[in-house]
Formats: sequence, C-alpha cells, structure tokens
Amino acid sequence: MASLSTDATTTRRRAAGSYLTPDVRMTAFLLAPSLILVAVVVLWPMLQGLWFSMTDGSLLKPGEFVGLQNYLDLFTEWAFWRSVRFSLIFAVCNVAGCYLIGLWLALLLTRDFPLRGVMRVVMLLPWIVPSLVAIVSWRWLMNDDQALFNQVITAFGGDPVYFLAESNWAVAMVIVIKIWRSVPFMLLSLLAALQTIDRSLYEAAEIDGASRWQAFWHVTMPAISGMSVILCLLMTIWSVNDYDTPWLLAQGGPANATENLVVLAYRYTFARNDVGMGAAVSFTTLAFLLALFVVILRVQRKSRT
Amino acid sequence: MTAMTWRRALRPLTMAAALTLSTALSAQAQVELEFWDQIWGPESYAPTAQALVDAFNASQSEIHVTYRSMPWSNWYETYVTAIASGSAPDISTGGGFQAVQFYDMGAVMPVDELMAQMEADGALADYAPATLEALKFDGHYVALPWNIDIRVMHYRKDLLEAAGIAVPTTWDEFRAAAQTLSAGGSPAIAIGGGADPNGVHWLLWLMINNNAGLFNADGTAGLTSEGSLQALNFLGDLVADGSVDPASAGLVNDDVRGKFFAGETAFYLGGPNGAAGSGDQAVNIGVVPPLVSASGTAATIAWINNIMIYADTEHPAEAMTFLRWWSENQAPLWVEGGVSGIPARLSFQAMPDLTGNANVAQVMEQWVPAARPMSAVAGGTFPQLNEIDGDGFLMAVAQRILQGEAPADAVQPAQDHLAEIMAD
Repeated sequence: MASLSTDATTTRRRAAGSYLTPDVRMTAFLLAPSLILVAVVVLWPMLQGLWFSMTDGSLLKPGEFVGLQNYLDLFTEWAFWRSVRFSLIFAVCNVAGCYLIGLWLALLLTRDFPLRGVMRVVMLLPWIVPSLVAIVSWRWLMNDDQALFNQVITAFGGDPVYFLAESNWAVAMVIVIKIWRSVPFMLLSLLAALQTIDRSLYEAAEIDGASRWQAFWHVTMPAISGMSVILCLLMTIWSVNDYDTPWLLAQGGPANATENLVVLAYRYTFARNDVGMGAAVSFTTLAFLLALFVVILRVQRKSRT
Repeated sequence: MTAMTWRRALRPLTMAAALTLSTALSAQAQVELEFWDQIWGPESYAPTAQALVDAFNASQSEIHVTYRSMPWSNWYETYVTAIASGSAPDISTGGGFQAVQFYDMGAVMPVDELMAQMEADGALADYAPATLEALKFDGHYVALPWNIDIRVMHYRKDLLEAAGIAVPTTWDEFRAAAQTLSAGGSPAIAIGGGADPNGVHWLLWLMINNNAGLFNADGTAGLTSEGSLQALNFLGDLVADGSVDPASAGLVNDDVRGKFFAGETAFYLGGPNGAAGSGDQAVNIGVVPPLVSASGTAATIAWINNIMIYADTEHPAEAMTFLRWWSENQAPLWVEGGVSGIPARLSFQAMPDLTGNANVAQVMEQWVPAARPMSAVAGGTFPQLNEIDGDGFLMAVAQRILQGEAPADAVQPAQDHLAEIMAD
C-alpha cells in the first residue's frame, strides 16, 4: 500500500512538473513585469474604487462601510436615470453616426481620385486636434446669434438657433461634435479592413451579375463584419466614458441635459465630495459596459458558428 | 610642478568647495515653505506675486518661500489630491469657503494665534470687520482674509444717455430701462448662464438684494421662501420681457463681457472693476448704485478670499510669519498685479490707485457696505457652502429660468437638493 501511495504522489508531481516546462517558465518570467504593472496600475485602483463605492467617505476622510447602500441610493436618484438616458442616446447616436459616415468615407477613399492623399490627411484632422481646442472652436461657431452657424441661418432667412441654450439643441450638438471627433478613427480602421478584401471576390461577383449594392452587401459587409463589431464596441465604450465633449461644451448643461454618467460621477466625487456615490456611478457604468461587451461577443460567436 | 604651483592651482577649487559647503549649510538652516497662489488677476498678477515673494526671501535669511502660481482649472481637485497624498503646500490662497471646508476636514490649521497677535498690536483693526467674521468657524479663525470678491451691476453710459434713461435705482426702474433698451430687438442684458457661474451670481445677487437667499434665518434651505421666489420671478420677468439675450443659458462670462464692452448690451453683473479690459470703452462704463429691491432692501453677494495654513506643515510658526508679512506687504497685487477684488484691509482700500478709479471708488462706497455672504440670511459660515458653491445645481436653476421655465418649477429640485446637503 505504501509503495502504491508513493507512486501516486510521484505521478502527481511529475504531472504538475510537466506543466512547468522551460517554455512555460520563460513565458511566466517574461509576463511577470507586465502582470505586476497591470495589477498595480489597473487592478489595485479598481479594487480600491470598488471598496470606496461601498463606503460613505469624502475625498479626505475615509468613510465607513455601508454595503450596497450607495447603489440603492443611486438607483432612486432621478439624476442618475437622466444621465443613463442621455448616455444611451449619446452612445447609440454616436456609434451609428460615426460608423455610417466612417464607412461611407472609407468606401470613397478606396477609389482613385485626384488629391486622395490630401483628403485622407484632412479627414484625420478632427482626431489630431486636441479636444479642448476643437470643442472651444465649436462653441464659438454656435454660442449666440452672432456666431457663424447663425450668420448662415439668418442669411438664408431663418431665425437664430440657440444651440447651447436650448436643451434639445445642446444634446444634438454634443452628439454632432462627438461624431465629428470619432469619424477619423472609424474611417482609418474600416479603410484598413476594406483594403484586406480579396479583389477577386468582387470580380467573381461581377461575373455572376451582382449589382454594386449586392457586391457591397454580400462581399464587403461580411468581410468587415468582425472588425465592425469590435469598432462599434470600442466606440460604445468611448462614448459612454466621454467626459471631454459634454463637459467642455456645456458642463453637462443646459439644465443637466447633456450630463452623462461620467460627468455625474465627477460631480458626485469632486463637487459634492461624495466619493462613495461617485464610485458607485463608475462601477454601475462599468457593469453595464461589461454586460454589453459579453452579450455582443456571444452573439458574434453564435453567428459565426 | 612645484609645491607652490600645485597650491596655487588648487586654491580656486578649495574656495569653490568652501563656498558650496557654506551655501549648503546656510540652505539647510533656512526653513523652506511652499506657497500656492491662485491667479487672482490678469497676466501681470503672477509676476507681481512672485516679485513679492522674492522681496520676502531677500528681507530675511531664516525662511525661504517657493512661489507656485496655480491655475483655476481643476483647482479643487488639485488641492484635495495634494492634501490626500500628503503633498499639500504649507500655505495657500483660496476661494470663499475653501478654508472652512478644509478646516472641517482637518486639512488646515486655525490662525487664532496670529489673530491674537494682530489684535494685540492693533493690526487687526485694519480689516473690514465683516471679512474677519466670514472666516470664523466653530470658534476659530480658519484663515486670514485678503480680498473681497463682490458682484456689482455695471451699465453702459452711452446707451442709457442715447435712450434718455436715468441710471436705475430700483428693480422697477431697472426692468423698465431694460425693456426700453431692448425694444429695438437687441436685448439689454446678457447672462453667462452656460458653463459659467455668472448665472448663479445673478440668482444670488437678486435673492440677497431682496433680503432673502439660499437660506432662511434658521439655516434651513430657503430657495422657495417668499423673498427668494420673488427675486427669481423678477429674473423670470426680465426673460419674459425679452430683455435677456435668449442665448444666455449657453453663454459664459467672457461672451457676456464681450457683448457689454462692444456696446451690444447695456447691463453687466460682474466684479468690482468690470471695466477692466474694456480698453477705450472704459469711459462708457459706469456702476449702478445698489438697486432697491421689491422688499425695500439693497444688498449684494460677496465672497471673502483668504489665505490659509495647512495642518501638515512642518513649520507652522514660520508659515504664520510669512502670512503676516504677506498680508502687510501685498498692496502691489492691486496696484501692479491688477487684482479685481477689493482689499480686505482698510488701509489698502484707501490707496490712490483704487480711490482714483471712479467705478471702484463707488463700489467701495456704496456696494461694499451692502455686501452679504452667500450664507445670507442665516449668516455665518459652514463647510457645506463650498459644496453648494461647487455643485452644479444652482447653475441648472439659472439655466432653466433663462430657458423660460417658471421659476417656482425650476427651483423646486434645487430646494430639495439644498435641503439634502444641509441635512448631511
């Protein structure tokens, strides 16, 4: 019996040892610095944030553990649901808008025409310009009846539009600016995806008598669908997490009309000095984004199989 | 090389080493203080303040102060992060309620000792009494006042004269003047109600002007009190009259000032020297006397900017020494630095550079005595004021009224939120 037991232990040790091949050890050794860095820079602050979301502390005083009370309070706050509503409208409109415009421009730029190189550079400008400069410039274009947009509108006989003073217009303009800033990234990525499509597929479609629309729908779209899903996911995350556009344009106003979840988290944390509620908003946003991420990737995997 | 030549060659090196050593020793003996100062004026402010600090450093050898000019963008986060991470300055200037809130958090130390010293030698008598009272919390002076930031109504002399309108002295006259001046289709008033506190300043000015405010006399939330609602309704009336630029809910103070300087609007609510930066238009800008409100009172909102010492400083005595020196020698900040507020020290208020400016002189004579704190009508100071000042809920009230919503409806969510803040 004793010899059987010793054999089993030796076998287990050998089995365990077989995983620790020199290759695995080397991989672990090479990965260790990055993993430690991620743990220190990402994981630790995240865990700390999660802890803060369950306390009632301020920026300077650590609070006491309150369990899920901050989350319960948050879900009864009208301001939270208002921010959720705006964040959803903002994200859906931006993703749809910048995807459609980005795809259209990418398809345009795959064709040969004079000054195509210059056009590519020009299209990238909104992405290159710092957000502060871009958004302040947009403000000047529409802040009152003397601004350029209203000069054009009144020149055509229209009444001035108070883009930043009327809530619905402010929402529309925040979305327009976000789309303007997001299109270059979408364009570049989709352009790269389009250039990887085998030209022979289009030739085959043409021989089969496919129209341009049929070629686009049955050749182009399937070829870029994987990239499109990833791009839309990334853009959703960046839209929901966008602080620059609503804050720099109108600080979430007028009358909180453009206050998204990130601006709300900022207000709780820094203006109201309520770190617990601020962290609760952030973690609720994170949970929503993670859920979205998982659902979309599962749907994508199912559609592939 | 002979021994003598070697000695000669080494002499400069020996001297340099001795000099370095003595400098190092002297630096070690000096106490190092870090002073963070917000930018309280135009471009000339920071160099003037730096020169003052240099003058202090040159005036003695025990303390060396390092000056850091701090931008206003994200100022609150900057300070809070510094305090939380243990890298706060020894001393700093700060906005109205910063010191009270930081004191309540245990981040700044009281300056009672310095106040007692100044009271004993008579220096405290040089301060406007209301400025000292504004910084008393929980039985302690939490900072030393230095500047009164007050909101004052300015007007365009040329526009009023051209329309044959006398300078208004009451709400009714003000409304009538604005209506007449707006009759041509160009509104007489623009308010920075967008991403800017100017809209909130209008609310505070009107409510306090009407002997009301954010609070009732017992310290409870008073946004829906009779006096406050009357004031908010007055703003609503100005909007309904068409006297307020319809773009106001999206404008910022720079837009509003620009329109006023260009003569596009006739009235502007701003700091005591609202004409600063108007160039050749300064002659056309005057100050309206404090308006008599519907309730018969005439008052305005003011904040007392202050200088505080941080609890984490290793050199509180030296910080107090510098604080006192700074408070006694900071006159150049107004004369050369262009600070727009009114000095808390009465002797500085009497400087010819200030009294020689007719608008500023009028503000000191008529408006400063009518100044009330944001805590009016409850009075006193408390830490929640900083949160109320920084939170955007009052901005939303101003924006909703400027969008044409009924003031009673626009103010109700803010009243509930204010009550929540005060209950915490």
